[in-house]
Order: sequence, then structure tokens, then C-alpha cells
Amino acid sequence: MKQSALSIDDLREAVMRLPDDSLTATREAALASLDEQGFPSIRDEDWKYTDLSSAIDVSNRWLAQGAKTESTDALRKSIKAITASIDAHWLIVANGIVDLTCFGEPADIEVEKFSDSATPFVMDRPLADLNAALLHDGLRVQVHGATEKPLGVLLIDETSGGAGVTQANVDIEVAPGCDAEIIEYQVSSGSEDHYANSVIALQIDQAAHVSYVRIQNRRAGHIQTARLSVALSADARLNMASYDLGGGLVRNDVDIDINEAGADATFNGLFLAGDGQHIDNHTRVEHRVGPASSSQEYRGILNGRCRCVWNGKAIVHKGADGTDANQANHNLLLSDHAEIDAKPELEIYADDVKCSHGTTVGQLDETALFYLRSRGINKRQATQILTHAFAADLVARAPVATAKDAITALVEKRLGELIKEEDL
Amino acid sequence: MSSENIESIVNRRYEHGFVTDIESEGLPPGLNEGVVRAISALKKEPEFMLEWRLQAYRQWLEMREPEWAHLHYPPVKFNEISYYSAPKSDEDRPKSLDEVDPKLLETYDKLGIPLHERARLAGVAVDAVFDSVSVATTFKEKLSDVGVIFCSFSEAVLEHPELVKKYLGSVVPRRDNFYAALNSAVFSDGSFVYIPKGVRCPMELSTYFRINAANTGQFERTLIIADVDSHVSYLEGCTAPMRDENQLHAAVVELVALDGAEIKYSTVQNWYPGDENGVGGIYNFVTKRGDCRGDNSKISWTQVETGSAITWKYPSCLLRGDNSVGEFYSVAVANNMQQADTGTKMIHIGANTSSTIVSKGISAGKAQNAYRGLVKVMPQAHGARNHTQCDSLLIGKECGAHTFPYMEIKNPSARIEHEATTSKISADQLFYCRQRGISEEDAVNMIVNGFCKEVFKELPMEFAVEAQALLNVSLEGAVG
Repeated sequence: MKQSALSIDDLREAVMRLPDDSLTATREAALASLDEQGFPSIRDEDWKYTDLSSAIDVSNRWLAQGAKTESTDALRKSIKAITASIDAHWLIVANGIVDLTCFGEPADIEVEKFSDSATPFVMDRPLADLNAALLHDGLRVQVHGATEKPLGVLLIDETSGGAGVTQANVDIEVAPGCDAEIIEYQVSSGSEDHYANSVIALQIDQAAHVSYVRIQNRRAGHIQTARLSVALSADARLNMASYDLGGGLVRNDVDIDINEAGADATFNGLFLAGDGQHIDNHTRVEHRVGPASSSQEYRGILNGRCRCVWNGKAIVHKGADGTDANQANHNLLLSDHAEIDAKPELEIYADDVKCSHGTTVGQLDETALFYLRSRGINKRQATQILTHAFAADLVARAPVATAKDAITALVEKRLGELIKEEDL
Repeated sequence: MSSENIESIVNRRYEHGFVTDIESEGLPPGLNEGVVRAISALKKEPEFMLEWRLQAYRQWLEMREPEWAHLHYPPVKFNEISYYSAPKSDEDRPKSLDEVDPKLLETYDKLGIPLHERARLAGVAVDAVFDSVSVATTFKEKLSDVGVIFCSFSEAVLEHPELVKKYLGSVVPRRDNFYAALNSAVFSDGSFVYIPKGVRCPMELSTYFRINAANTGQFERTLIIADVDSHVSYLEGCTAPMRDENQLHAAVVELVALDGAEIKYSTVQNWYPGDENGVGGIYNFVTKRGDCRGDNSKISWTQVETGSAITWKYPSCLLRGDNSVGEFYSVAVANNMQQADTGTKMIHIGANTSSTIVSKGISAGKAQNAYRGLVKVMPQAHGARNHTQCDSLLIGKECGAHTFPYMEIKNPSARIEHEATTSKISADQLFYCRQRGISEEDAVNMIVNGFCKEVFKELPMEFAVEAQALLNVSLEGAVG
């Protein structure tokens, strides 16, 4: 199938219409790079299972309509509801526009807009180019000390009156020795098609510890490509959990760079997919030096007509002795129309390493179902109990205490929607 | 282990590196339609075969060399390869082993394969392929008593054209991939096996491959058909003389198992891997695929890969029949500058199909060893079951071990398990052996053999012994 192309001319016009500020040069460079490379297609190994044609289509329609982004009352209401449900210092990018009204004045967090600083940002792949080209503004955050509330990053979109496309770019640095809690929340609503593309970079300095929670609860049918890149310095630690609940076509890229010895990265994920969803989680850990460790566990529950992808890659570079890298991926397939494509990859160029991966795909245990049913629990409830148990482990591992209740509620709600009477 | 000791072992030359001095009757280097026609004419093939080759050649012209493998090598110059060579005694083929060119027998002797002895004592029929034409086939009568056809591919084309027509390319189509298309156009010879209904082949069938004349690509074509409720075990093994130039080998192996049939295909591959700097050595681009076409059929691949500079090989199973079974057991050793990208594909199509994958990769020296596998469960494949285990052992600081397993699951009743580990030989294990008076080298051999045990136990007896010895030789001195 031939992939439709992004209309670069319309894109160029949209870029020109953005305010002339210190980002202008970057936007133009990004546009040129995107023009040259084009969008990734399923012919690229990294995009084998995920076709971005629909994102291109939404983008083209949005561009043709004049690339408008507006803030509405509904959007402000949603922001209010979310910021009220989780107590945090919220940095908001609403429909692509930076909003600091819910941030408060934490003593140990410094925030600066990209347009106010001169530091260039990374554009190493087409989606990063698209992000840079269309970016209104980004946020650079520095965490200097432990704050009593977590740092929240809310990427929220609401569509009305035509397709929407938004970009968000946040750059966070956690200073040496600091403990920080971060919540990334991506959500959308509205009647029209939408495509959100985000880039978040996290630098964890020496001996700093970061607890990170990612929640993705976009509206059904909305498209998301989100990239999170984390760089760890000596003895730095990352403890992350991500939850994919909503959206149509969702692609998450988590890139972790272990640049100095003693670092440890633990990152887990749960994806719950139903009809019409395509959730693709790509993770990549680069062990550049050792000793260091990384560990990931992703779990998926799939019901209805959906497809999920999990691709975990660990690269142990030459000389990264003492590396300990583990990958695990477990999937529960509940429907005849669900598909999971799993690919745990290891590339190892050092010998003093311990690496392992494990992947399973299966359905609910018949004997466990029978046990519950023999005690008078109906099939739907029994299925819910068992799927819930499968998910609960990862919910329990949410590293940010403040967000746990919200996550539990969201996961339970989504599981309730997924396990419907008529399927059983 | 002392460093001189390592030096001496690392510098050990490839024992099977020699060239037998037999004049070759070959085609000049280069590839075009004329060459394809010439090969077909030399083999006195019927029209349908020539047509098949020509179509493959035309399709090959439109295809591109695959680049996705985790391999690095200079591009193959397809126009500098001679696509056909045959021992000169082709005209009057020997009727029995006594008539076989004594020089050839000497070659086998040097390789430690006493052909006639082995054939008689071990009850193995050998269809030895020397370069491109079969020169000795034994135990043919015993096999024909039970109706088993075991002959060279060229012979099969002439004598059993109906079987060849029906099954050739039915598992690996001409345009399946770049190298399969090339093979389809210029394949020289190979083995053909047909096991009739209900027959259990009375002996293990075996072919020894040799690459000889310089600059000659070897394009084997093997086709094995196991009819309803039959059983066959086939052994393939090879060694090759020392060369300074890279030799291309692009073989195709097709297996067809009908209802209730079972095919066991075992390989020990020990081609010249190149010297310590990676000079010379065989390029091995092989397409092997088995089709479990019938219900309750089974295809089992077992391979021990120790040779070749470059290995690109994925013996696969199409599990089409209900309750069919696919197995893949592999030990791949890469030492010095060797590169291997190997694995399997298990495609579950029928109901209640199951597959097992056990892959053991050993990397030493500066070698790169990759496992690449696909487990695919189609939507209609209810009750599919797969277990995959791929383990890598790293010996030395400069080698690499990689795994690229793909799992594409489209049926909820599938149970798929995949595990992989990578580690080095632990100092604890070595210490334990050493303190009991076992030399370091023996200890390493023991540990490596233990690591590969699951695969070796799948090999037929005589192969298992050979494989273990081969593994020890391949890895000797790699540990420091």
C-alpha cells in the first residue's frame, strides 16, 4: 500500500504563520529535514506494525483548514477536573499552547519557555522534526530539590470545528541528588479527529531519583505519537510506570540512555485495548557503560478488534560490563479479533552481562474461571476478577503515590468497558 | 589459561582445509540467460525444468539483495562466480564405490568420513555431493525394495519428473527471496527423497556436501517428500577446503510432510569460516523450509552450525495440517570473525498446531551471532502452542550476541512462551571444575557441551558424537 504523503507546502505555510520568535530558525531547519526524510512508513523496521497514514491524513486536513488551534470552555473544564483529581504542580500544554496557570510557585522547580532561552533541542527523527517545525513553544524545567507535590505535565487537547493537530515539547532536568516525582498525563476530547505528537526529554543527574507516571487516556479514535527520552547519569535511578487506556492509534517510544555507571532504570507499562485501538509501545535501552541495570515489564489486555505492539530493545555496548538487563512482556488475548505483535530484542556487545527476556501470550486460565464460576460468580464477573488481577500488579507498582487513586479508578473503569456481557 | 596456550590454539589451522586435485569441467564466471540455458542443457533437462529456471532467473533480476540481517560483508559480485562445475568423470559415472575416483575417496578419508565403511557399518546411505554432481550413491537397492526414492536431484528430474513438477517450488516459491530465486535459476544438483505411503525409511539418509573448485558457487537443491504416514530421518553435513576468496553458497531445501508423516532433518555445518582475520570463508545463504501439509504431520529441524564466514539461514515450518508439529533445535557457534544471523519461523495455520524452538548461540573471538525468529499464529489457528527458548553464551570481550524474536499472534487461544538469556561462562563454574583437577579447556568444553545438551540429544547418534567434537574444536582456545 502506498502511503499518502504529508503536504509539505501546506505545512510550510503553517510554520510561517507561527509567531516570529527565537524558535523560527529551528522550525525552518526542522521543516527542511522533514521534507527530506519524509514520514516513517511500515517499510521501516521500527514502524513495521504501525501505519501512520491516518496521522498524515488528519494532519493534511488540519493543514488544509488553516492549521487552527483554539481553546474552548470545554477544554478549561477538563483541565480543572484533572488538576483537581491529582494534586501536583501542573505544567499544561492545552491544544499545543503552553499554560502555566496551574503551576503554583514551587520553590525548587524552575520553568522557562523555549522561546526565552537559546538552547537548541534534539531533532533526530521525522516525528521530532514535525514537533519542532510546528511547535508554538516548549517548556524547560529544572528540578533542584524535593518538592512536597509532584510535578505534573498535562498534555490536553480538545477538538471542535475541524481536525486538530498539536505538538508538545517538555525538557526536564533533575539536579544531582534530588528526588523528584513526575506525572505525565495525556488526554483529549472533542468531536473531531485529532493527532497529538509529543516529545519529552528527561535528564536525571548524578544520584538523582525520579519516580515517573505516564497516563494516556485520549478519546477513542484520537491519534498519539509520544516520545519520552531519559538520560541517566552516574547512580541515577528511574522508576516509571505507564498506563495506556484510551486513544485510537497510539505509539509510545521510550528511549533510555544509561550514560554512566551505577544507574538503574525500571520501567513498566500496562496497555488496555478494545475495539478500534492500536497501541504500540516501543522501548529502547542503551547500556553504554556498566555496571548498570534496567528492567521492564509490559502487560497488555486485548479485547475486541484491536492490535497491540510491544517492541523492547536492549543494547549493551562494548565495554558495558556488569550490565543487568531484563525485559518481560505478558499479554492476555480475550478476543478472536485481537492481535499482539511482540518483539523482545537484545543486542549485546559485551560479555560480562546478564540479559534476559520473557514473553507470553495467552488467555485466561480455564481452571481459574471454572473455580470462580463453581462458586456462583457469573462469567463476566469472573473474567473481570481475573483480568483485574492481571492488571492490578502493575497498578500497584505506580511509583507516584498521589496518582495511585486516579490510576486505579481509570484502570477499573476501562476494564469494565472492555469486558462486556455480549462478548462472553 | 596461559596466554601462549590460547595463542597456540587460536592459531590452529582449519584441519579440513585442502583442495582435492580433480580437474573441473566448469562454466566461465558470469550469469545471464545463456548460463541458465547451458546448465539446463548440460544436465539434459526436460523443457519444463528449463522454463522454470528461466522464470526464476527473470524474477531474480528484479529482486534486491536483502539487507536487513545483522551481517556486514562486502557485496557479492554475482558476475564473478562460475555457476557450474562438475568432476570430470561425469561422463562415465561410477556404478559402485570401487569405481569412484580414488582421489575423491581420499578426500573423504581426510575428512574422517570413511564413506564405504561408514555406509556399511552404520547402515547409512550416502548420496555424496562433490561439487555439483552426485558421484556416489549407496544402498540404493535396499531403499528401492521398500519403494524409497533417494537420488540426486538431476536424476529425479529425468526419472521422476511428475514428482518434481508437483512439489518443486511448492514450499519455497521461486521468488520467495533473493537467494532462493538465484538458486532456482542456477541450482546444480542436490538430493531428492520420496518416501511412499506408510513406509518407515529403513535407514538414515545422508548427504555430504563439499565445495571444491575455486570460484564456484554451490547451489544445492534438496526436495524431500514424505507421503502419508511415512517417516524419514535425513542427515546433512559438510566441510570445505581452505580458500582465500569468499565462496557463495545459496541452497534451498524443501520438505513436504503429508498426513501423519514425519521428517527429521539434521545438519552439521562445518564450512570454512575464514582465517582469524576473516579472510576467505563461505557465505552461506540458505533457504530451508518444511511444509506440514497434512494433518498430524511433523517436521523437525536440528542444526549444529560451526562453520561459514557468513550464515544467513532460517529453517522454518509451515504448520498447515491440524495437529501438526514443528521443531527447531539449533546450536550456532561463531568464533573469530564469523557472523551468523540464523533462527527459524514457525507459522501456525492449522488447528492445535504446536512448535518448539530451542536455540543456543555461542559467540567467541570477534564474532557476531544473532538469533532471528518469527512465531506467527494465524486467526484460524485455534489452540496453537509455542515454546521458544533462545540462550546465548558469550566468550570474550569483543564478540556480540543478539536476539530478534518476532511474535505475531492473531488468535486468542494461542499459548506462546518465549524466554531468552544471555550470559558468559561464570567464574564460579570454571573454578568449581578447576579445583577438581579439570583443566580449564576441558572445563569450558564441559560447560559448553552442557549448554548445548538439549540440542545434541535431538541429533542422531553418530551426528551427536561428531557435533560435540566439532564444537570443541571450534571453540578451543576461545576462553581466557
